[in-house]
Amino acid sequence: MEIDKKLIEEIVRAVIEEVSLNQEPGNLSSKKEDLGQISVGNFLSGKKPASRGTNPKEVVIGVGPAFNTHIHKTINGLDLSEVLDNIKAGIEEEGMIPRVVKVFKSSDVAFIGIEAAKLSGSGIGIGLQSKGTALIHQRDLYPLSNLELFPQAPLLNLETYRAIGKNAARYAKGEKVTPIEGRNDPMTRPKYQVKAAVMHIKETELVNRKQVTIEW
Amino acid sequence: MRRSKRMEILENRPVNKDGFINEWPEKGFIAMSSPYDPKPSIKIENNIIVELDGKKREDFDFIDKFIADHGICIDRAEKSMAMDSVEIARKIVDINVSREEILEIVSGITPAKMVEVINELNVVEMMMGMQKMRARKVPSNQAHITNLKDDPVQIAADGAEGALRGFGEEETTMGIARYAPFNALALLIGGQVGRRGVLTQCSAEEATELELGMRGLSTYAETISVYGTESAFIDGDDTPYSKAFLNCAYASRGIKTRFTSGSGAEVLMGNAEKKSMLYLEVRCLYMTKGAGAQGTQNGSVSCVGIPAAVPSGIREILGENLVASLLGLECASSNDQTFTHSDLRRSARTMLQFLPGTDFIFSGYAGEANYDNLFAGSNFDAEDFDDYNVLQRDMQVDGGLRPVKEEDVIRVRRRAGKAVQAVFKYLGLAEITDEQVEAATYGHGSHDTPNRDVAADLISANDMMKRGITGVDVVRALAMTGFEDVADSILNMLKQRITGDYLQTSAILDEDFRVISAVNHPNDYMGPGTGYRVEGKRWEEIKNIQNVIDPNNL
Repeated sequence: MEIDKKLIEEIVRAVIEEVSLNQEPGNLSSKKEDLGQISVGNFLSGKKPASRGTNPKEVVIGVGPAFNTHIHKTINGLDLSEVLDNIKAGIEEEGMIPRVVKVFKSSDVAFIGIEAAKLSGSGIGIGLQSKGTALIHQRDLYPLSNLELFPQAPLLNLETYRAIGKNAARYAKGEKVTPIEGRNDPMTRPKYQVKAAVMHIKETELVNRKQVTIEW
Repeated sequence: MRRSKRMEILENRPVNKDGFINEWPEKGFIAMSSPYDPKPSIKIENNIIVELDGKKREDFDFIDKFIADHGICIDRAEKSMAMDSVEIARKIVDINVSREEILEIVSGITPAKMVEVINELNVVEMMMGMQKMRARKVPSNQAHITNLKDDPVQIAADGAEGALRGFGEEETTMGIARYAPFNALALLIGGQVGRRGVLTQCSAEEATELELGMRGLSTYAETISVYGTESAFIDGDDTPYSKAFLNCAYASRGIKTRFTSGSGAEVLMGNAEKKSMLYLEVRCLYMTKGAGAQGTQNGSVSCVGIPAAVPSGIREILGENLVASLLGLECASSNDQTFTHSDLRRSARTMLQFLPGTDFIFSGYAGEANYDNLFAGSNFDAEDFDDYNVLQRDMQVDGGLRPVKEEDVIRVRRRAGKAVQAVFKYLGLAEITDEQVEAATYGHGSHDTPNRDVAADLISANDMMKRGITGVDVVRALAMTGFEDVADSILNMLKQRITGDYLQTSAILDEDFRVISAVNHPNDYMGPGTGYRVEGKRWEEIKNIQNVIDPNNL
């Protein structure tokens, strides 16, 4: 993709805004250690603003702001790189093309997912929080609706993530899709909700509503 | 160190699998009182609140503004704010002070003052307060009706059994969101088969839920969510005003609605702004009242793992239920989500609402086995029905349920399945086989039922919405297929939408479709000898559990 001058100006402005926001006293992310690795240099070196795809074979995976920079494992300890690899593999197995973007304007899985779907050439996107919660979204649905939702991240394994990729690709192909069978463990909440809160707080501290979504 | 055997045994007890965390006010992990909570204050100029809880009007966020303009009775404010918080707390407990008098006093206090009042009360005093302040004289109960397969036949069967067991309201939700029309339809029918007049809802994305209500496929709603911080609202692209409009949309079509909120939500969303869970929830409840909603589902609800993890968190949950009642709102008091591995702990938590009674003690109780509960498990489930009935009997408390006979359970489950099968066929929806009806009739849950063709169901559910199927079509389908009585019940539920009486606070319907609400049956408890007493026919019903020794058979 060609980067024109206007785009570069936009990125620089977004970065400056992000940095100055973080330095404001009282801001949620004002603590020194939270300034994080999204430094100016890192952001510009190879990370481009995400574009809207035109290829109907494309399925976009949107990841949360802390993905693999601040949080490296899901709530039940799966390596985030492996999670992503499995989703991508699932998409590829169906003959479709995965693309990954990182969303900064929200840490909510539904909003990450709809952003991915809107950028996706096929209109199908996958939202993935750093703690592992995922959904399959479609660009013309209400933000808080979805095609399939996997709300209990502690119950997801790499096979499920691969299946999520496969099903998303099938929706993109316009096939009649049988959703992945739901799983439910009533003891998930007692065991994991506090951990989920702490992980989500970490991700939410990196939310910046003015920062553009980038290719990841 | 050599391990103590006793310590090892204790370590392996269920309660030690639960998640706990120390107080951490900076991130909102604090139940009832954060050092960052504001101090109560109010200033009124020209009949406008110009200062609220230490903040000047020009510094208000949109929640402060909404509360200042719509949530506090200005005529009453200066007088109420002049009272000591401990004096208000004592009046709440005092059996000689009526509910009406408390409602009047409390209508003039600010959120921070409310937090001070609640902090004066221990749990027994809160229960005393709840017993008096609950809006409806008679408590009731709500069920969750869901299953892992989103199988409409099982929804209908469980809905019928739940209604038979006494639930006043039943709520469903989906594993796959696109099943919503089928879930709503199946529960509407199943509920009326089990007991006429049961209210049903389908928890879904807000626009979908509203549409299902407008079409008469559900008869109430309770998922208008509000949050205690502006940032949590903004995250969901919402404001208190948008929620108030949504509330009006329901009311304009004559659909009973309540808001929902609860402690821990802002913590889980990463937006607690250092405030205590109680303070943030109190703000939610003032918005609920200000928006004109008749009631709330609160008590932490799905975020219960957060307050339950910190000291005094379970006390806080009762505290926030009490605030809802103090503001004159219907309170569906949660108890609807698992939060512990310990049977002791989950029972104790529920006693706080069960003993004093609330408008809906659960919101809801899993009317299926918890493995099928798509709200990720309720605090009590279908396998606890007999325990619950015995608890009512042990303590002569009305928890809203009743013992049932096996033959009646089988009868209503089968009839509900048959009715849904007939309606689906008449309306040209996906096929329901006799085998599926039989499996749902005798089964415990989705482990006992055959799989449905999910992809075909979803296409059919989408088609049902596209064709504009409404409650009237359902009435016609039932009437044309030999289920005239069920057709009549659903028609009566639709009529409620025109008369509108069930929009009143805490409304439920009896089996003759008569409204029982805080208007015609207000709680008038003022100590022993007053208020609702479990007696007469209802006590006989509660006493009559199945598992008793018959001396004649010895």
